[in-house]
Amino acid sequence: MIKRSVAERIFEAALQEGADFAEIFLEDTKETTISMVNGKVEHALSGIRYGVGIRLFQGNRGIYAYTNDMEESNLIQIAKEAGRAAKGQGKHRVLNFDVKEIPTRNPILRMPNTVEHKEKVEQLRRGMEAAKAYDTKITQTKAGYLDVVQNVFIANTQGTWVTDERVRTRFTIEAVASSATEKQSGRFGPGGSVGFELFHQIDVEEYGKEAARIAVTMLGAGVCPSGKMPVVIDNGFGGVIFHEACGHGLEATAVARNASVFAGKLGKKIASDIVTAVDDGTIPNAWGSSAVDDEGTPTQKNILIENGILKSYLVDKLNGRKMGMASTGSARRQNYRYAPTSRMTNTYIASGKSTPQDIISNTEYGLYAKQMGGGSVDPATGIFNFAVLEGYMIRNGKIAEPVRGATLIGKGAEVLMRIDMVGNNISQAQGMCGSISGSIPTNVGQPMIRVGELTVGGRG
Amino acid sequence: MDWEEFSKELLEEGKRKGFSECETYFQRKKNFEVLILEGEISHYENSITQGVCFRGIREGKTGYAYCEKISDDAVAFVVEQAKDNAEIGEENTAEALFEGAKEYPSLLGIEENLRNLSEEEKISAAKQMEQAALSLGEYSVAIDYCVLEYHEVLTKIFNTKGLAASYEKNNAIAYVSAIAQQGKEIKTGSEYWMGSNWEEFNPAQIGRKAAENAISHLGATGLPSGEYPVILQNSVMAGLLSAFCSGFFGESVEKGFSMLKGKLHEKIASEKVSIRDDGLLPYHLGSSPFDSEGVPCQNKAVVSKGRLETFLYNQKAAKMAGVTSTGNGFKSSLQAPVQTACTNFYVVAGEKSLEELMEEMGNGILITEIAGLHSGTNDISGDFSLSAEGFVIKDGKKENPVEQITIAGNFYALLQEIEECGNDLRFMMPKAKGCMGAPSVFVRKVAISG
Repeated sequence: MIKRSVAERIFEAALQEGADFAEIFLEDTKETTISMVNGKVEHALSGIRYGVGIRLFQGNRGIYAYTNDMEESNLIQIAKEAGRAAKGQGKHRVLNFDVKEIPTRNPILRMPNTVEHKEKVEQLRRGMEAAKAYDTKITQTKAGYLDVVQNVFIANTQGTWVTDERVRTRFTIEAVASSATEKQSGRFGPGGSVGFELFHQIDVEEYGKEAARIAVTMLGAGVCPSGKMPVVIDNGFGGVIFHEACGHGLEATAVARNASVFAGKLGKKIASDIVTAVDDGTIPNAWGSSAVDDEGTPTQKNILIENGILKSYLVDKLNGRKMGMASTGSARRQNYRYAPTSRMTNTYIASGKSTPQDIISNTEYGLYAKQMGGGSVDPATGIFNFAVLEGYMIRNGKIAEPVRGATLIGKGAEVLMRIDMVGNNISQAQGMCGSISGSIPTNVGQPMIRVGELTVGGRG
Repeated sequence: MDWEEFSKELLEEGKRKGFSECETYFQRKKNFEVLILEGEISHYENSITQGVCFRGIREGKTGYAYCEKISDDAVAFVVEQAKDNAEIGEENTAEALFEGAKEYPSLLGIEENLRNLSEEEKISAAKQMEQAALSLGEYSVAIDYCVLEYHEVLTKIFNTKGLAASYEKNNAIAYVSAIAQQGKEIKTGSEYWMGSNWEEFNPAQIGRKAAENAISHLGATGLPSGEYPVILQNSVMAGLLSAFCSGFFGESVEKGFSMLKGKLHEKIASEKVSIRDDGLLPYHLGSSPFDSEGVPCQNKAVVSKGRLETFLYNQKAAKMAGVTSTGNGFKSSLQAPVQTACTNFYVVAGEKSLEELMEEMGNGILITEIAGLHSGTNDISGDFSLSAEGFVIKDGKKENPVEQITIAGNFYALLQEIEECGNDLRFMMPKAKGCMGAPSVFVRKVAISG
């Protein structure tokens, strides 16, 4: 943490040339990553990330500077230079700090840095062995371990003075199945804002087997036919469709610049009546949760879409100024090297009424996307694309043969309106989301949903 | 204590803690970035960061640890972490530290003209880009991003085998993404410039091209699914290279993650295809005198007229394969381990212009944009299925734009099917695996779904 007197001097230097807001974000992070291939440790990395970001606003302009040269004179120099770039007119002053203790949303049972590396490796090895043993067609297995203990201190000229400790642990597993001509893979990456107790909560062998099952199934699959058809997307990581196609378009980052199809649509119908969507940074121990966001605002549960009506965007302080809206506790950044902006936390489509069986049996012909891969979207047009990791054809209301190589393509706004069935089996899955403020942990989630018509790209 | 002293102490502490060989990789980066929106600075960023990564060999195993904080206990902490990390490694998999080369290629190093630019000059260039993009009056154009970045990096590697290498380089990247609107239809288009030769940077041209690219896609229609003759524009082909270049890494071959395993000196592509990896191209972002292990960078043929000539190696992969490193051992960041990356990796240009390629094709599709490279590709098998945009080509001429289509195929099959390479070689903005370049390429048959 920075001494109060030093923080005050940094702020005074920053505001000297007329900036009207200044913020200090200090980070001291210890992290460990271990990656294994075929039962052997490939890389084990650990270390300390440390640095400070100083951010200034002048009207709607953001100025950002960061460094890890922590000499007081250097920090004040940086604040002054940034202030000069702000070039404002008015004279602003620092409010009294309101020292806040925000209780953690994520109690930790076993701090990862108290666990020996050997024990971490053992968990990965178990997952890989289970994958390998599943089928002789499994030719490669990969596993990864990550733990992060990020301590942040955030202060600003509006009086914020807060600290937060974010502890996260994640396990990843990938199985590759090969034939003479083809390779296919299956993967999972469960994690949370938890310590090493993650490995008591999940069954690494079960994940290994599942990854292997997907790889082997897809290896034997024919190519997916292409064209427009109904698509059923299953729960968990299937929520990536909402994340990519809609979530990014609801971020103030895009809305404030009028670069989103959802700009100006508050209170309007943007999805079919059965769609309610939520971004909730407060879910205890969830992968995307924290006590405060990276501007020091407590996180909250934001209803984004309620019964098809757009209720809220995801807003950070700077974009909030441009939009005349208050922060929704959604400012996030990878680390001190990034200025924060509005991002998702744990985002999901809420449970509906249909059972998964209803949805499948009501679909004459279509694609069943059981596991989704990653994807991307152009926020300006809403055009998204993402890969189906495990897919099956639906014929006569039944899940039929597996198909590989499918891609789902569409426009976010259109797809939201075309969701015609929402299941009751919600679950969430973990991902890393990349955007202008870096790569951050986010949950995606949904129950099984059906999109009446979607373009499927395949090789068939 | 400064970083140089900190590095020395790490090497000494490393020896004391039983590391037979150890190395420190120090980097100091200076970055500047400005975003312009509506003639004003919408974002400004300035930074100086530095840190050191320790790599050591202990009992035949490699351990890494990094640090961005100089403090009294950091030396002991870093070496202790590296020791813990080494302990869980496999026996006899030590990375091979390099003893240093007698001579290193002389590269330009710091371009003083670029370094001496004032902030005002950089900001004004960024404003010119935006203005030019907005000046195409007849269409409604807005700016998505208009950014100018300046990067300066100093790298120093020291190890106990005698390596002491250091270099500095700088470059700038300018990027504009424009949004064109016609009625309810919205299209984006972008353009960029990068390099260290500021003289060749024409801000107005970059801005105008971004807007023109966006406008050119207005009025796009779908396309019936089928197999079409296709020209992949240079940036599209370079994008595919970036997704699949790891197949050319010795490291991937050793691990069984490459379809090119066992294909050395065999024909893996059409005779029209030659691929080079050249770490010494002047003014290019992928150039440097040595890689992250201190091994000199080279200019080498990877594929000659369809024949696979070499894989790309770092020290460890080279040792395992019984060859010497090709100078492709790179760290993707200070914190990352040494892996493999390309320098400037490109398909060599042919003779014909894009227009001539279109004439040769007659009727078909010109693909100008692809999206979803990180999700719609299988980097092992070479399979891809990517959302794309482009133009219908009729009788050799550009007709209407097409959108919401997918191109699908297999990268290795595509290499065999390339009929012609254009003369319009262009490099993309740098990616994690290096800087990729390609000319436009003509392929007789590609599956497209609309």
